[in-house]
Amino acid sequence: MKKVIVDGAISPAFIGESIAKHSSKKDIGAHSIFLGQVRNDSINDKKVKAIDYTSYLEMAEEKFHEIREDAFKKYSLTCMHIYHSIGKVNAGEISLFVFTSSIHRKDAIKACEEIVEKIKKEVPVWGKEIFEDESSQWKINS
Amino acid sequence: MEINIIAFGQIVDLTGSEAWKISGIKNTDELMRKLAEQFPSLPKINFIIAVNKNIIFKNTELNPNDTVALLPPYSGG
Repeated sequence: MKKVIVDGAISPAFIGESIAKHSSKKDIGAHSIFLGQVRNDSINDKKVKAIDYTSYLEMAEEKFHEIREDAFKKYSLTCMHIYHSIGKVNAGEISLFVFTSSIHRKDAIKACEEIVEKIKKEVPVWGKEIFEDESSQWKINS
Repeated sequence: MEINIIAFGQIVDLTGSEAWKISGIKNTDELMRKLAEQFPSLPKINFIIAVNKNIIFKNTELNPNDTVALLPPYSGG
């Protein structure tokens, strides 16, 4: 199974390298990329400084695999990469990277959106919002 | 027979542990009753359960060494 879960933030350099690696695949005509960034929400006058992600890893890896297989079946994709952070990710840093590529744009765009929605809904990952004063609360996905 | 319980997210704040074993339980309904006795605020929390990584929606028989996961709403991404 392809490794999806990564420790800590996903660096912009890693994302850049991922894009660069596809220059050899010359049948690709479109890439679609989603980047989830940790937002410094204000809750009761306290600002979120980081999110600490935990997961039911074995189940999450299976779910990611399922989501991946389903997307390949449904859309005509040349390739797909999914990375999700675990552990602490600071506000302003990237915690989710979904990257789909196809010959024509529509498959890449639709698949990317569907994958992101499914990740939010189906993958057992929990985010704990850490505030500047070190207090915390469990995140609720909208 | 022993089964494994694992908890995640806000449920860990309530149970105080992430993983423990429990014995003498035959099915998931019985397990939920036992956990509600142990942790009276647990039934107030919204969560689903998975047996050996499969989410279940009705009473399910438990076998030795099964793993039951208590899963509050996901908030990844």
